[in-house]
Amino acid sequence: MMTRADRVLMAITLCTLPLLYLHFWTHQDTATVLRIQTAAESATITTLTPDRHVQIAGPIGESTIEIRAGQARFLRSPCAGKVCVHSGWLREAGQLAACLPNRISIQLLGNRPRYDAINF
Amino acid sequence: MQIQTTAEDQRIAWLAALAITIHILESAFPSPLPGIKPGLANVITIVVLDQFGWRSAAWVSLLRVLCGSLLLGTFLTPTFLLSLSGAVCSIGILWLACRLPGRGFGPVGFSLLAALAHMVGQFTIAWLLFIPHPALWRLFPVLLTAALLFGTVSGIIAGGISKRQRQCNP
Repeated sequence: MMTRADRVLMAITLCTLPLLYLHFWTHQDTATVLRIQTAAESATITTLTPDRHVQIAGPIGESTIEIRAGQARFLRSPCAGKVCVHSGWLREAGQLAACLPNRISIQLLGNRPRYDAINF
Repeated sequence: MQIQTTAEDQRIAWLAALAITIHILESAFPSPLPGIKPGLANVITIVVLDQFGWRSAAWVSLLRVLCGSLLLGTFLTPTFLLSLSGAVCSIGILWLACRLPGRGFGPVGFSLLAALAHMVGQFTIAWLLFIPHPALWRLFPVLLTAALLFGTVSGIIAGGISKRQRQCNP
């Protein structure tokens, strides 16, 4: 039923697939900077070193962003739901966390900032 | 006005109609993941390739995409573009595969190649035009696995049909 070419093709595909999984699932786009956006002013870009806490004032109080080992997260925020805090650490370029009640969002950016999606 | 049609034209029309029917029936089933569907209409493409050659297969495949989209109401939408890019890629690769010296590919090989090319073409267009986000590539191996699975199954079905066809009209 299967010719030799079929078998060779099948074998190549079966060998390539694990490599693709390995490549695309372990490779991460490392972040280089953190973008902080508040309602009051335009976005500020900050480096991911050194490790520190950044205090940002919003309409309902002060949120604390923790930056450690190239990662960032909302440590504290005066909002009710704490969705931002529960978002946890942002590790890869493109990841984003936001505190809507306090009008603050943070996003890790890599070397090539891109669109999230384009819709028609 | 009367358009002169040859026997080949009519055969292509019949086969395309069959492929379109399968295409539309299949679109009624929900998909577990965007971009994954069995692609059973490609069974027809492979059978046509096996019996009537690449030219007919290309016609059937492109007619299916065009008429299928008109009937489903997706003509010129992103869905149509993805479908078209996949079809163009797969008939392109089939053109090359037909030119392989020796015994070459059988239905399973053709079907697998077509499914993989379809997925690669469609994915590339999706990434370039619609979702240019690096995270999309994580789906790539998953989609190719689906293509491997469905391509092989379609190929086996196509092989079975071709064999039976030959027994009926030797």
